[in-house]
Amino acid sequence: MEQKKIDIIKKIIWLRLAQIFVNQRYKKGDFLVPIHLAMGHETIAVAVDEAMGKQDSLFLTHRNIHYNLVKMGTLKEELDEYYLKSDGLAQGHLGSMNLSNPDKNINYTSSILGNNLPVGCGFALANKVKNINGVVIIVTGDGAIEEGSFYESLLFLKSNNLPSIVLVENNEWSLATRINERRANIDFSKLANSLGIEYLSLQENDPFEYKDKISLIRANALEMNSPVLVEVKLTTLGYWYMQSEEHPGGKFINYHGGPAPEVDEKEYPQLVSSNEDPLFPLNNYLSEDELIDISNELSEQLKEEIS
Amino acid sequence: MKYVQYINSLLKEHVSNNDDLVLYGQNVDAGSCLSGLTRGLSSHNRGLTINTTNSENSLVGIGFGLMLNDISSVFFMKQMDFLLLGIDQLVNTYNVIRQKRPSASFTIFPVTVDSGYEGPQSSLNNFDDFCSIAGIEGYSFTNNVDAASIISKHLTKPGFRILSTGQRILQQEVLDLQNLYEDNDCNYFQYKKGDDASIVCFNNSLSYGLELHNVMRKSSIESSLFSVNSHLYSNYSRILDDIRGSKRLILIDDTKSRNRLSDRFLVDVLSECTLKNKIIITRTLTDESFYPCKDTLDIDYNKIVNDITL
Repeated sequence: MEQKKIDIIKKIIWLRLAQIFVNQRYKKGDFLVPIHLAMGHETIAVAVDEAMGKQDSLFLTHRNIHYNLVKMGTLKEELDEYYLKSDGLAQGHLGSMNLSNPDKNINYTSSILGNNLPVGCGFALANKVKNINGVVIIVTGDGAIEEGSFYESLLFLKSNNLPSIVLVENNEWSLATRINERRANIDFSKLANSLGIEYLSLQENDPFEYKDKISLIRANALEMNSPVLVEVKLTTLGYWYMQSEEHPGGKFINYHGGPAPEVDEKEYPQLVSSNEDPLFPLNNYLSEDELIDISNELSEQLKEEIS
Repeated sequence: MKYVQYINSLLKEHVSNNDDLVLYGQNVDAGSCLSGLTRGLSSHNRGLTINTTNSENSLVGIGFGLMLNDISSVFFMKQMDFLLLGIDQLVNTYNVIRQKRPSASFTIFPVTVDSGYEGPQSSLNNFDDFCSIAGIEGYSFTNNVDAASIISKHLTKPGFRILSTGQRILQQEVLDLQNLYEDNDCNYFQYKKGDDASIVCFNNSLSYGLELHNVMRKSSIESSLFSVNSHLYSNYSRILDDIRGSKRLILIDDTKSRNRLSDRFLVDVLSECTLKNKIIITRTLTDESFYPCKDTLDIDYNKIVNDITL
């Protein structure tokens, strides 16, 4: 396998390991700030990182750890930010839910549903004024798109011919309610089509498919001076089953934020044996032993970094 | 000249002197151009002028996004109540942006609807509340002098603020005044000096204060006249000195805000000045206040003249 592909696989495993490191400290009660882990979101974060050009910019949500970590490539600065240390990524001024990193093209992050969409629109408009040939990538979720700003922003981006990607991480859940428990289904394809916007759907976490397709639609956004709507179906891992008299088989508890109680350090950090875990499809490309070797190597590096 | 024409001429002059300025809002370059407020700005603006969608929440966020990317902008808005839709951005986004101390400017320029008869909606003039909610700089103006200073100093100054004037005032002839004093940041202006009483006007109430000053003068009562333009608390030392001298305060505030800046000012007056008399003129709001009405303050100037010297 070519080295570039191995590097992508390494990034995905490293992202998982780094989050498990954070989770271990979170479970001990180390952090005062609320953190929303993004285990299960690694493939899309790596694909976006791989596809981004130097003049592209990212606008994130409260669940931003995967993008912040992959853009940094190190854990310590982000960990220190969670500890609110002065040498943290944002000098302890932003914590987790608003963590941005303009040096790495993460220009704004908001903890408020739908809030980052308009700010990304304005940033894209400024790119146009300044003749900057970059794509603004605005990450949002299946809950945030229920806000009016989602539609308003798509309309503004299209009306003003702004190269951009609106990326919906669809994990089905908004806190404790699934989509079908709270609203009608939204057909993104038809919505995008109604506005004359290209639409792309991704699922199953194949790292190379994600990378190639995100790179392609980024190029399309630039060429067409238009937004592209991307829906990524994924599972936020860390969910668990709570035993009780009422639910002897265990009640499903969705992971939204905070420590994931049943996620621990282990030899290989895959959590689920299906494509809902971004580490599972990696078995299609490398053997179990090879993946474990990579994981061990990266784990040692992480321990050394934060020791 | 109508005030709206005067403000429009100030805007044209200022816009002409800026590069890469984005002017935007609904109908800013179409139709009546917000009753003339923004007419012709596009031909003076070397940057973009955009007739936008009806998306106030997003349009506020877009201004902050432009700011993050070093582009200054002015978002013109026909009515201040439209800004209610942008409160998330005004508070949550601004609380992040303010940490970054951007070099670009973002100004929201809504018209305060105070002409009356709009009914229960579209009659919001709660400028104090908007500024209070996130410590946002805000300046209102009512005449030739304060408008020229505020637009010149604040329209494209780095940072974020709201500028506004009244819809009723915009359709009147320019209130042509000369000022005796102007606070460095345009927080307040003094227009008259007299030893017998101090008239301090808030929000868009200067015209009432000027009328009162003239009526009092006919009764040989000389009064100082101030207008507080900033909607954030500031240092009022010159006004307080004047009140200490006259020992008589007449405060006029036509805002509908429940969180009035003038109340905070009054705390300073009561704690730092010894008064012989004070008259406070503010709105008493009831459910009926939001029926269509003329929306102006009813002031019995002759009664004030009699009462203030008691």
